[in-house]
Amino acid sequence: MKFGDQFRFVRQNIKKNKMRIFMTVLASAMGTTFLIVLASVGFGLHSTVLKDVMEQDLINEISIYGFDDGEYRLINDQDINYFSSLANVRSVRPVNYLYQSPNLQINDFQTNAEVRSVDFAAEQKAGMKLSKGDYPKKPNEVIVGYHFAEDLYPVDIEYEDLFDENGEQLEKYTYDDELIGQTLTMAIEKMDPDNNIESEEFEVTIVGITEKPKADWQRNYTLYISGDLLSQIEKYTETLNGDPASTDENSDLTNERTYSEVYIHSDSLQHIQDLTTQLTDEHYYAHSVATEIKEINMLFNIAKAGLIFIGTIAVLIASIGIYNTMTMAVTERAPDIGIMKAIGANPKTIKQIFLLESSYIGLLGALIGTAVAYLISFVVNLGLPLILEAVFDDQIPEGFKFSIIPWSLIVIAVGICLVVTIISGARPAKKATQIDVLKAMRRDL
Amino acid sequence: MITVKHLTHEFELGKKGDKTLLPVLHDVSFSVDAGEIVSIIGRSGSGKSTLLNLIGGFIRPKSGQIFIKDQEVSSFSEGQFADFRLNHVGFIFQNFQLIPSMTAYQNVELPLILKGIKELERKRITEETLKRVSLEKFHDHYPSELSGGQQQRVSIARALVLNPPLILADEPTGSLDSETETDLLEFIQQLNKELNITFLIITHDERVAKIGNRIIEIQDGHLIEGGNH
Repeated sequence: MKFGDQFRFVRQNIKKNKMRIFMTVLASAMGTTFLIVLASVGFGLHSTVLKDVMEQDLINEISIYGFDDGEYRLINDQDINYFSSLANVRSVRPVNYLYQSPNLQINDFQTNAEVRSVDFAAEQKAGMKLSKGDYPKKPNEVIVGYHFAEDLYPVDIEYEDLFDENGEQLEKYTYDDELIGQTLTMAIEKMDPDNNIESEEFEVTIVGITEKPKADWQRNYTLYISGDLLSQIEKYTETLNGDPASTDENSDLTNERTYSEVYIHSDSLQHIQDLTTQLTDEHYYAHSVATEIKEINMLFNIAKAGLIFIGTIAVLIASIGIYNTMTMAVTERAPDIGIMKAIGANPKTIKQIFLLESSYIGLLGALIGTAVAYLISFVVNLGLPLILEAVFDDQIPEGFKFSIIPWSLIVIAVGICLVVTIISGARPAKKATQIDVLKAMRRDL
Repeated sequence: MITVKHLTHEFELGKKGDKTLLPVLHDVSFSVDAGEIVSIIGRSGSGKSTLLNLIGGFIRPKSGQIFIKDQEVSSFSEGQFADFRLNHVGFIFQNFQLIPSMTAYQNVELPLILKGIKELERKRITEETLKRVSLEKFHDHYPSELSGGQQQRVSIARALVLNPPLILADEPTGSLDSETETDLLEFIQQLNKELNITFLIITHDERVAKIGNRIIEIQDGHLIEGGNH
């Protein structure tokens, strides 16, 4: 018997018991919807957490904060050379922070910002991008963060007068001139032996502005200076990293050059994981988002498997309905099955027809369930932030997805549904093949 | 066409642990040649229907052998026998055994579907067969909308549709009035002559049995030698 004819048989039989089949399909659809929606929460949260991690950090980057083989120390030039010599390392970018937050002035506007000393060539190699201008070529050229201008305010205005009653900065006090090409004056302070504060101005030129951070909530007010400029500042303060007061022996300028942070970049996620493991084994404090992602993925994959398992229970409950429907169908059609067997229907064909019928019900339920799950997911993603905001007066992070339904989840859910329905239809199908021809024709079943 | 050798059968009665055996057939042997009409006659409970069910493969003999077209069908598996029935044996039952939810056309078409014949070819064969039994105007009638004689004709059409060399008929006129019975018997003889189909007819009615070239009588499960009619 051809598959097309078997399918036609199944459809004819389904038409005879529309209401019963409808209820069975409904149960199957509800089970599938529950499975997909439940697991979609796991997928949604996983995606949101990953996105959050990746927005905060670069995926192909390892951060190194120091070395500790029993005695802690910062990273030095020797370490930098070692990192550069490692296989699969694309760039090594050391970073130092100025140990004071100097007053920065452009014309009649001022601010206090974090000052970071970087190797611009290494930064460029690592993928630092500018939204405007160019990379510094001279020691007194600098780059400012994307939001640097937002923090500037007029020198003759008290800080508390800058804002309106809603806490917004008044427009008339915002800096709206061009930053590129502007001379920025850094007022570097130091303490003399009598603890009096002295100050000297260092003039630099802004030549570039960094690109906008990936996440909308991230702000970059940093001032990026070259290592040479940091050295000039250190020469003036006579301390390492421009510390205004020589607090301990670590800030002694005669000490070797060390770095607050060093970032290593590689081309692939696998190399990042391997390098992180290697450096950790060599007693460096190394951290990479790749290892974090690996752990996050493992955690969420376990959670998703758990949710799919719970969802599968709903499908299993629905399968009881399919089993019941198919058993009733076999009982009701026993005389017909007997006649078919008498005129030459192979038991295999009878079994195939009933398995096809249970699969058809399962597939129909799975498809309807999938469509409903997409609808629920859409409504949840749209409505839940509004409800949370209204009830808890709390802002949901932008791009937050409570529920995500990837194709893989659909394939898993439909697969589970089909397998479960085929299993639940298998016993009634076997029962159909065992029907006694003579008893069936006598209506004695 | 059919050879039955030393066929013995008994039914098990009662529940597990308290079973009794009811002998039905005792060492039955006979043969039917191709193109013959053979009637098996006997009283109710004589074992004639059991004999037909054994030949048709609906039950398995306790001992003995059954050959149809030189194949030992008594050793076939259920699936093998089903395929054999589909390809070589047609059935006519006393109660017609039509599927009530199918039209006359669909009932006749069913063996063709089971054999996997393409739809266009099926249509042609089904229509031709319905025409042969003079039911071309009743394609879309359900069994409940047909008279007993018409239902039996649909049943014959279903048995004929795959051109089997052998038709087993179990009390084919049992549910018909005498006029319809006469028509049906004439039709069976016509089919036998025109298509050379072998008929094995089980009946308790001597009038029906007389259309056979040979009558075999069964009494209490024993075969009484049948002669040529």
